[in-house]
Order: sequence, then structure tokens, then C-alpha cells
Amino acid sequence: MLISRILNIIHKDWVVERRGNNAFLASLLYLTAIVFVLYKVLGDVSAPVRVGLFWIIMLFTGINLIAQSFSHSGLKRKIIHYQLYKPLDYIVAKLIVNWVKLLIMGFMLMGLQLLLTNTVVKDTTLFLQTFGLASIGIVAVLTFVASISIYSNNQNGLVTILALPLLVPILLLSMRLSLIAERMFVDSATDNYLLLLLGINLLLITLITILFPIVWKS
Amino acid sequence: MNSLAQHWWKILGVLILIYVLIRGFMTPLHSGILEFSPSQAYSDTSFTIDIKAYNTHFNEQENRVWLRLPNDSLLKARQTQVQSPVNITADFDIPGDIDFEGKKSIVASIIVDNKEDGYALYPDGVRIKRDTISARGLQADRYPLSVLYQSDKFAFPFRNIIYETIRNTFFHVAIWFAMFALMIYSCFCSLMYLRTKDFDYDMKSKSLTTIGIWFGIAGILTGSMWAKYTWGTFWTADVKLNMSAVAILIYFAYWVLRASIPDVDNRARIASVYNIFAFGSLMVLVMVVPRLTDSLHPGNGGNPAFGGEDLDNTLRTVFYPAIIAYTLIGLWMSQLFYRYLKLENKWLLEE
Repeated sequence: MLISRILNIIHKDWVVERRGNNAFLASLLYLTAIVFVLYKVLGDVSAPVRVGLFWIIMLFTGINLIAQSFSHSGLKRKIIHYQLYKPLDYIVAKLIVNWVKLLIMGFMLMGLQLLLTNTVVKDTTLFLQTFGLASIGIVAVLTFVASISIYSNNQNGLVTILALPLLVPILLLSMRLSLIAERMFVDSATDNYLLLLLGINLLLITLITILFPIVWKS
Repeated sequence: MNSLAQHWWKILGVLILIYVLIRGFMTPLHSGILEFSPSQAYSDTSFTIDIKAYNTHFNEQENRVWLRLPNDSLLKARQTQVQSPVNITADFDIPGDIDFEGKKSIVASIIVDNKEDGYALYPDGVRIKRDTISARGLQADRYPLSVLYQSDKFAFPFRNIIYETIRNTFFHVAIWFAMFALMIYSCFCSLMYLRTKDFDYDMKSKSLTTIGIWFGIAGILTGSMWAKYTWGTFWTADVKLNMSAVAILIYFAYWVLRASIPDVDNRARIASVYNIFAFGSLMVLVMVVPRLTDSLHPGNGGNPAFGGEDLDNTLRTVFYPAIIAYTLIGLWMSQLFYRYLKLENKWLLEE
């Protein structure tokens, strides 16, 4: 039952996305443009710079994408949502939708980097594991912050201010893991870092599922 | 009497703080060895060493200088000359029959002791190399460790590099502990607000968080000064430093969040939710992440912070009261701020 309700919400979200403002496609375009600009400006980049660029672009396109995930539902739609859905279903559906969007963006970014620099990460498995885990954390933080910031006056600015410090541990860990994946240095504690990422994700998701129902009532 | 029953904890906080300041600054440091030269010796030869010590009274006492060999036996200096209260020169006869355990050289610690100051030790200071040419066949007596004088004076431990700045433990570390206490209480108030919708809890939580942030800034500033004198820079790329800076940023965002929500009820609810979230992140950032990576900080990268090495009993007699004092004073400050918020609220309602 829970799964069907969540699927229903995801379907609605998809319909709104297709009929409405195509925010996701706009974000994809934004991503492509920014990658082209950066690589044309920087020219030849070394492995650490490439990895750093990957995470920074992920971060900012993620903010751009997810910050709007609650805002374009107006007051009327909010009231309808409030009557129709349970908060838990709603937030889980939102998390899944945003995660899928971020994954698509990530893979597109990897593809673009491959196209422009013609190099692949040396330890692809580790990099993909890192990306999978880190993207969950990034989506969790950004979704939560976006849900908070719909109450404020300056929405997008607030998302950045609130989200960036919360994202720092995730980014530091994934940056370290990606550098290991690029064979920049050897570290035997790779599994520990992955477990830590997983732990942070679990903590964030638990906090969100507990706290979102409170945020929701307005 | 009624007022005393109400305010006793504030008086207690101030009294303990005064105790901490007096005891923390008046207690001398234990004697220790600052530097010496040379740092190399050969077996079966005579060896003269100049030692510069700290907080010692060489000219008032009869002094003994020792070399501690790896098998815990002591070599006594043949003779010593006192240059000044803190400078001493010692002549050793390094015997030829030292047990090198099959290695080319061993490392010995330098110990100076007298009755008044107790003993001062510089660990693993002198490298003694095997001399294969000399055939003087020097002999020397070995002494057990129990011959050393112990000082029963009350003094803080002497640590190389840290020296007098060990007193910063009562400020830097204690302030951060107090900050954690305030943040825990603030998180509890936020929870209570969400349960009861009592506006007082929100104001309490705001005042506690605000004072907690100020304590955090004070902790970072004192820590930065400490880093300047021990590590050489005000700021290093240490994990714990970065994580605490990020934690402070998260709480700054709490201020921004409060300021940007116009509606009072919404503001209280959202701020409470964010406060709980921020506290969870603070715990992960400062308590979990630094323990998993290498760090200069004591207590990280596998080494314990409050083992016998870092915090001995003399420091504990000041450190634990310091935590209590800062927590009480923090609570007092936040109570004052809470009253101000309450007045402001009343004034807004009347308007």
C-alpha cells in the first residue's frame, strides 16, 4: 500500500513536470552550459581539479534543481497535497524523485567530462559507489532545506546558506574517496569512509522523516 | 533568603570561575628540560652535556643528572656544574659495556633531579652510538628508577612544545564543553516547543543557541591562539578545526533562518526543527568525523584525549570546575537574554 501511494505521488510529480515548467530540463541545460564554459576556460585539467569540478558542479546544479522542488507548488496545490497525502509518503516520494533527477544529472556530468577530457576515473566501481551514497546525502539535505525555506522571504539565498555547511562533511568525504578512486593516494580505510557516508545518510533520512511532518503543517 | 534560593547557582558559577582563574594562573608549572646540546654520544668515552631547564632551582640544591637507558637503568653523571638556576653542565662517563641489543645505537632520556623540584625528564633525547675503536673499558654504576626524587609540590605537568599554554585547557576545552551543554539544553527546549507549542520554550531555545554560538566563537578564538603558540599558525587544515568552523556556520544559518521568516508561529516551528537538525549535524561533525581521520588534535586519529598522558590529576582539579563554571555562567547569560526576548515580545504584543 505504502509503495503504491508513493508511486502515485511520483507519477503526479512526473505529470506536473511534463505539463508544467520543465524545470528539470532547464537544469540539465544549465549543467551542460556550465560544464562547457568551465572546460573551455580551464583547458587542460589534472585529475584532482577534474574531481573537484565534478563535485562542485554537482553541488550547484543540485541546489539549482532541488531548491525549486517545493516552491512551484502554489498555496492551492499545497492545500490539496495536505489533504490527499500523508507527510511520510510525500517526503519519501520527493526524495526518490529528486534522487533520480540528481543521478541522471550526475551520469550526464560524467558523460560530458568523458567527452571533453577523454579520461575515465581509474577505479570506476569505487567512484560510482561514492557517487551513489553521496547523492543520497546531498538530496536529503537539499530536500529538507528546500522544504524549510518555502516559509522564508528570500528563498534561494536561504537554501544556499542553510545547505552548504550541512553538505560540507558529505562533500569532504566524497572528495577524499574520489581522489582515492583516481589513485591520487592510497588509503586503506576506504570501507570506513563508505560506511561513514552511509551512516550520515541514515541519520539525515531518519531526521527528515521525523521532522518533515512538523514542517509540513502550515 | 528567598533570593538566595533563586540565585545560588549564579553565585556558585562566579565563585568557581574566580577559583579557576586564580588556581589556573597561580599554579606553577612542573620543572622540565627545555633544550640541551650535544644530542649524540659514543660508548666508552666521556661526554659533557649542557642542559637548559625550566622552573628549576639548581643553585639552591644539590643536583643530580642522569641518563636513562632503554632497559630502565640509570647512569649517574660523574660531576655537575651549576651555571644558573636553570642552566647546568654535566659530565658523564659512558661505559663500554652498554647493552646495545644488537643495534648500532640506543636512545637515552635525560633526567635532572633535586629534592625541591623533583625530577625533570626529556624523553629519548640523547643517541648513544657504539664506539668500536675506543678500548678504555670505562665502567659505571647503574641505578634503579626508584632513586629519583619525587616532587610533592602542586604543579601543572610540563609538556614539550605546550609549556605554559597548558593553562588554555581551562578556557579552550572547557568553553567548548560548556557550549555542548548549552546546545543540548537548547535542543531539548526545541523538542519541548514542538510538543507543547509553548512560546517560552522557543525563546529559551533561541537565547541558549545564541549564547552557545558565542561560546563556540570564543572556543575557536582561544583554540586559534593556542595553535599559534604550539603548531605555529593560527589556522591549519586540521579536520577538527574545519569541522568546528562548519558547525559554527550551521548555527549562523540558524540566525539567518530566524531572521528571514516573517510569521511568528512559522518561525518558531521551523527554527525548532532546524535546531534539532543542526544539533544532529554538530554531533556528527565534531564528535564522529574527526575520530576517523588523522588529526593534530588530541583525542583524534586514535589517541585518547583524556588519558593519563594529557590530563593529569592537577589539571583535573581546575578543568572540571572550569566546565561547571562556564556552563553555569552560560545559563545565566542565556537567562538574561531570555528575559530580554520576553520583554520584547510583551512590548510587541501591546503595540
